[in-house]
Amino acid sequence: MNLYQTVFTGSKQALKVAEDLVKEVVEKKGKDCKVAFPDTAYSLPVIYAATGKKITNVGELEAALDVVRSLIVEEEMLDKLLNSGLATAVAAEIIEACKYVLSDAPYSEPCSGFISDPIIRSFGVPLVTGDVPGVAVVLGEFPDAETATKVIKDYQSKGLLTCLVGKVIDQAIEGKVKMGLDLRVVPLGYDVTSVIHIVSFAIRAALIFGAVKPGDLGSVLQYCSDRVPAFVNAFGPLSELVVSAGAGAIALGFPVITDQVVPEVPTLLLTQKDYDKVVKTSLEARKIKIKITEIPIPVSFAAAFEGERIRKGD
Amino acid sequence: MDEKVLSIDKTTLEMLDKAKKDGVKTAWDRKAELKAACGFGAAGVCCRNCNLGPCRVSPVPGKGVERGICGADAGVIVSRNFARMVAGGAAAHSDHGRSIALELYHTSPDGDIKVKDEKKLMKVAKRFNVPTEGRDIYDIAHDVAQAGLNDFGRQMGEVNFPPTLPKKRKEIWDNLGITPRGFDREVVSIMHSTHIGCMADAEPMIKMALRCGLADGWMGSYMATEFSDIMFGTPKSIDTEANLGVLGGNSVNIVLHGHEPSLSEMIVQAAEEPEMIALAKEQGADGINLCGMCCTANEATMRHGIKLAGNFMQQELAVVTGAVEALVVDVQCIFPALAKLSESYHTKFITTSPKAYIKGSVRMEMDEEHPLQTAREIVKAAIMNFKNRDKSKVMIPELKSEAIVGYSTEEILNKLDGVVNSQIGPMQTTKPLGDVIVAGVLRGAAGVVGCNNPKVQHDFGHIETIKGLIKNDIIVVVTGCAAQAAAKAGLLKKEARELAGPGLKKVCELVDIPPVLHMGSCVDISRILELVGSVANQLGTDISDLPVVGVAPEWMSEKAVSIGCYVVASGIDTWLGVVPPVTGSPEVVDILTNKMEDWLGAKFFIQPDPHKAVDEIVNRINEKRKKLGI
Ligand code: SF4
Ligand code: SF4
Repeated sequence: MNLYQTVFTGSKQALKVAEDLVKEVVEKKGKDCKVAFPDTAYSLPVIYAATGKKITNVGELEAALDVVRSLIVEEEMLDKLLNSGLATAVAAEIIEACKYVLSDAPYSEPCSGFISDPIIRSFGVPLVTGDVPGVAVVLGEFPDAETATKVIKDYQSKGLLTCLVGKVIDQAIEGKVKMGLDLRVVPLGYDVTSVIHIVSFAIRAALIFGAVKPGDLGSVLQYCSDRVPAFVNAFGPLSELVVSAGAGAIALGFPVITDQVVPEVPTLLLTQKDYDKVVKTSLEARKIKIKITEIPIPVSFAAAFEGERIRKGD
Repeated sequence: MDEKVLSIDKTTLEMLDKAKKDGVKTAWDRKAELKAACGFGAAGVCCRNCNLGPCRVSPVPGKGVERGICGADAGVIVSRNFARMVAGGAAAHSDHGRSIALELYHTSPDGDIKVKDEKKLMKVAKRFNVPTEGRDIYDIAHDVAQAGLNDFGRQMGEVNFPPTLPKKRKEIWDNLGITPRGFDREVVSIMHSTHIGCMADAEPMIKMALRCGLADGWMGSYMATEFSDIMFGTPKSIDTEANLGVLGGNSVNIVLHGHEPSLSEMIVQAAEEPEMIALAKEQGADGINLCGMCCTANEATMRHGIKLAGNFMQQELAVVTGAVEALVVDVQCIFPALAKLSESYHTKFITTSPKAYIKGSVRMEMDEEHPLQTAREIVKAAIMNFKNRDKSKVMIPELKSEAIVGYSTEEILNKLDGVVNSQIGPMQTTKPLGDVIVAGVLRGAAGVVGCNNPKVQHDFGHIETIKGLIKNDIIVVVTGCAAQAAAKAGLLKKEARELAGPGLKKVCELVDIPPVLHMGSCVDISRILELVGSVANQLGTDISDLPVVGVAPEWMSEKAVSIGCYVVASGIDTWLGVVPPVTGSPEVVDILTNKMEDWLGAKFFIQPDPHKAVDEIVNRINEKRKKLGI
């Protein structure tokens, strides 16, 4: 299947999942049931940024499926491909919102799920000053925990904020990676769709710090591309859904680096099979220069550890 | 002259008005005077190959006279005429390549012409199996020249092919029996077989034409380009300006017209000499303003950013501005009409090549031993002519466009390196280009090339085709007079990416290039072969599998026919915007537009409407993508 068809297929799959889930929510909770993520003034941030509309109840959430549908135009041109990626993102947000409707606490330790506004505000400044030089979204599964740990710790030592999605979370735990917001390693969730929580982070950064008007999707994308130095590492076998989500990342200006063989697009979608080079490849792709010189002391030393408290058992 | 608008180029229309007022004639007037062209010639069914004739047979099968006196039917006559066009075009490129090879053979460290690009020399030496280890640069250069020259008159075996020729392609040629042997031999073969009483079968006749074309593209033109780069430098991206507005109001305007780069190189050098500039100022001019027309312009602009005054149909109009002190020409595509035309102005029309004397011109033959000296004399003659300029007759159009030129294959690879992740590599390959094509961000690539032809609206075909293609995310490379049309229309600027589709636009932003890349002169179409061959090799496919096409929207010369033949024979579908003289034989039309696909995986498309051509190209490219699974 060519890249375009893969992305379109993934987007349609995401739409189908979202449709089914919304249907379930309508049946279980009714159309008037309230929809919201915790601690945010931006409703469903991706949809809000794209359309300027706040979703408040299940009925509106159902209507938002049309946004997904309208973004899937199966024509083999780049703009359509990127839109289709955005469709997947919107679908993912709908799916995640449903989770929050169906359960009061859909996420539990170690996963963060939705990231609240206050956290974004606190991270925004170091992101702008370069103290947090970048955001690594690590998704999928490494061949082994050791490799995963090495890559994540490398990002951590360089002060990046690393978000984990999928099995890599377990690999990080196995590798004893110290996690937590203040340590700049945040497991988002095990489902692919939980990646939307970091996307909504970036998008809210545009609304909060970039003062971009909700509904002005072009400016939102431009802000993310110019100002939010994020990138994606997608490891292990890639489903169509993941590839279509990757197209969404590319629409935001975030390059995707994978260990799989894919039709590469220079600077945007790259294959790096050498795990020792993943970090450097990613930083170069996103043009991230590390301000902090690495200090060769036995313990990884960087801003990521500033918030670390030495607990008793350690 | 009928009142339909002759050109989409404003300066052209302005100058045509002026020509009328000045009472001088242009090619458009002569075209009108000729009235409707003879239908027999236009259909290719007129034969003058012996003195039994001329014979003309009916272009409609089963109606009227079907055979010439010798018994040749329409298929035979049309295919022979077609083949002779190819021979004519190939011969022009052969002789161009030969002079360049001879120049390389005569390079010396203290001569006027030196080896400028040693790296390229080494690369070319390798492909000719010339040893380089520990040898003097000039010994290598002379051996390379000798090896190249051998291919022109080779009697045994086959010509040397560059490594960019994919294996599969070569096998196809071998199986069809169209692998060229020696370049000149292929031209002679056609002249022989088209003689009365020789080849009388359209299919093998056309195959001979293909073989001759291949000698042109993959050998003669290829070598001309490589050797020119070795001596004069491999082009790098450089800014320039285009259209008649580049002529200077108070400068000594020298217009270089023709084809061979040695002429323009020498004149560029001479015109930069301080004594010359001082002399120009002494004569009351601000300086010397060099600009070019046709392929000499392309050569000089690619290497020095020399301004592009215009393309083929504008050559007379440059003189009509009244501001050209010297029009200096060498060979090919030079209207003999310039001699008479320049009598009406102060312009000195200077011919320099013994291969193209033109009655009524000022003859200043290039001294092969001391070309720079001749160039100085030419520049001096131009300067001294400045005082003769009749200011009341001068009218320079205001219009000119910025352009970036200089995209040799090497420069394209350099640009592509900019998007390669250094942790992944590799550098200096076509991989990024192959990648974006495979991924579908670029749907394909098109070479838009060729001439102008007053049968169609000047530049309209070029511009509409190019715009249509880039809008559909098909990256366009241009050479020849098509390139100048694009330059004039502002399509060679980075800003032109706004006219491109989303994928091409993105690629242009990432690589920092315009959506239309000027790759040089007509012989530099070999650069396109080099690029396409490299991509095919990179992807492990044949050229005919790739979503690439060639287009000649306004072609006119026999060279264009030879080019068309080698492009199709290389596996690239080729669109012709002007109908070739073949319509008198359904058999030949069927071979060109149908059968060739079975032979070569590519064929000719004849489509005078550029918008329809774009649609056809997009469909065809999508077909090829599908076949390849991309
Ligand atoms: S070659 Fe045959 S067709 Fe041609 S002019 Fe002679 S007799 Fe006539
Ligand atoms: S493109 Fe055609 S007209 Fe222009 S220089 Fe080449 S052969 Fe001559």
